[in-house]
Amino acid sequence: MGFDIDFALSTVPAILGAIGMTLLVALASCLGAATFGFCLEILRRPGGILGLVVRFLIDFIRATPVLVWLYCLYFILPFYGLRLSALTVGITGLSLYYSGYLAEVFKAGIDAIAKGQQEAARALGLGRLDSIIFVIAPQMLRNIAAPMGNYFVSILKATPYLAVLAVPEMLGQAFDIASETYRYAEPLTVAGLIFLALALAIAQAVKWLERRLSAPTSR
Amino acid sequence: MQDTSQDLAVEITALHKWYGAFHVLQEISLSVQRGARIVICGPSGSGKSTLIRCLNGLETYQRGTVRLDGIRLGDDARQTTLARRRTGMVFQSFNLFPHLTVLANCTLALRRVAGMARHEAESLAYHHLDKVRIPDQARKYPAQLSGGQQQRVAIARALCLNPHLMLFDEPTSALDPEMIKEVLEVMTGLAQDGMTMICVTHEMGFAREVADEVVFMDQGRIVEQAAPSTFFATPSHPRARTFLNTLLH
Amino acid sequence: MSMLDIWLGILQGFRVTASVTLYGLVFAIPFGLVFGVAQYLTTGLARVIVTAVIEFWRSSAVIILLFVFYYAMPVIGVTLPAMAVGAMVLGLNVGGYASQAVRAGLQALDRGQKEAGQALGLSRQAILLRIELPQALVAMSPTFINLVIQLVKATSLVSLITLTDMTFRAKEIAQIAYEPVPIYLSLLLAYFVACYPIALVGRWLERRVNPAREARHGL
Repeated sequence: MGFDIDFALSTVPAILGAIGMTLLVALASCLGAATFGFCLEILRRPGGILGLVVRFLIDFIRATPVLVWLYCLYFILPFYGLRLSALTVGITGLSLYYSGYLAEVFKAGIDAIAKGQQEAARALGLGRLDSIIFVIAPQMLRNIAAPMGNYFVSILKATPYLAVLAVPEMLGQAFDIASETYRYAEPLTVAGLIFLALALAIAQAVKWLERRLSAPTSR
Repeated sequence: MQDTSQDLAVEITALHKWYGAFHVLQEISLSVQRGARIVICGPSGSGKSTLIRCLNGLETYQRGTVRLDGIRLGDDARQTTLARRRTGMVFQSFNLFPHLTVLANCTLALRRVAGMARHEAESLAYHHLDKVRIPDQARKYPAQLSGGQQQRVAIARALCLNPHLMLFDEPTSALDPEMIKEVLEVMTGLAQDGMTMICVTHEMGFAREVADEVVFMDQGRIVEQAAPSTFFATPSHPRARTFLNTLLH
Repeated sequence: MSMLDIWLGILQGFRVTASVTLYGLVFAIPFGLVFGVAQYLTTGLARVIVTAVIEFWRSSAVIILLFVFYYAMPVIGVTLPAMAVGAMVLGLNVGGYASQAVRAGLQALDRGQKEAGQALGLSRQAILLRIELPQALVAMSPTFINLVIQLVKATSLVSLITLTDMTFRAKEIAQIAYEPVPIYLSLLLAYFVACYPIALVGRWLERRVNPAREARHGL
């Protein structure tokens, strides 16, 4: 049969048309993962029983595959009568999964802030929440920007998992074309190449951002 | 020419080196007789470390020649390797291999470069560790030793290959004062055994006691070269005078 | 269906999961070592080529790579068993990450280590094999352990190309009995049981490797 270049090119517009969905999923999942991850880290930080439970939860997430998390949400939630769209399930799954990783990023980002900062905040009589919002978080943002960017690329590369739930992102689109035409090689290769280009471009942008942020050594 | 170079351990003629636009070494010429002890000093950034690193090919140069035992360095890799086998180098930061024991640090090159059998290499290593007075630490790892001990191991490691010439690049500047003495004692002992030595150091007591000649460098040039008695009593160059004053005060 | 049936069912897939992991390592370890060292040593055009190969495997979305190789290779006349495709794609993807760890480990070494080797007259090869690589590999060993975990988790993807691993078995069981909650939670637990001990080894290594590094640089 051979690899039909013309057919491959003809699938480009349809697959590229799904790039918006891919980016939407990646951005929403990254925001969700950052939110969950920050909460996890804040709950873990003081230690105690709750800290231990959260720590175990983070370890658990990191020791299990994202595909299985997606299946869990997709098949278990309806069992309890909770019917969500595949897109919502997918974004929730990626958010949950990557929150386990981003919690570690936040931990490192907070650990890197000088101890004196928290003590100073406490000495000023700021409450825990206030010291997090006004003292810790602003300093942390700078520390975590680069690793966050790298995880955004990881999340982007995980978005095609949602094709398994039939979300019409780029891989899903490629499979739609494949099942209509019975030709798998061409659309899948096109999707792979577009993904590679997108991932490389965004990784490059993250590197650039990293350099920009680390440039001023003093403020 | 051929005859005189036979007696010379090192012969540097009209050496120039640039780092990009920065002229690090300018018109350096220096001859070192066999058995001579040369101390090179000068303010930081004067090019003294770069010069000594040119002598075993750790740095390349753009113009001039460097001969070790008459072999021209920098022409091809094999000559450089040959010349390296005749030199031992001691670094400011020791550069011991942290993943190897003291003994293995000493025997690595003996076995890989000289192709020596294990027990032979080890007995030679013990001989040199004995000379630097730390044979009992042979089975330890570098991180378990004090700085002074580490530097003495580095000297023993270099001596194992039986070099004709020892290069010291600020061997005591990373050490606490109480450890400097033990390293200088080992170096003095080496000089008494007749080793040809070129030392970049600010230890002026050592220079006075051990050196045949002091070479003072500034801004990439040799500005003064004299016997230590002359150099310390009546330095002729104003910058050498300033330098000595800052060291004394 | 009893809990025991579910567990035994999932366990039937363990052999495939373990096989893909082990065969994957057969690809990942040589690739990571060879390409990591090559990227460290080469310059100019050779480095561009080495980097391109690494980036292809590392920056692509692994799920798409898996499908592309599974569906596209037969089209150009190469038909490999699904197990071989799975092990190769997952292995080289993880190998791409490993190569970056190898390269970073080599680059992080003090320049004096190489110079001391040169001053002793050691050949470039001896310096690499006896001085640089042993230190770099030890320093990076916790990262390599994390990559093994990443590989185990990624093996869940081979269920999508007809291999009967743990994930495939779980889906099979779920089709027989509509009990998604115990089935998928058991699946999560099965991966956790496989990965968590590896993570603990990684943590132990981290503790062993890091103090040594501090002692080396702290003097």
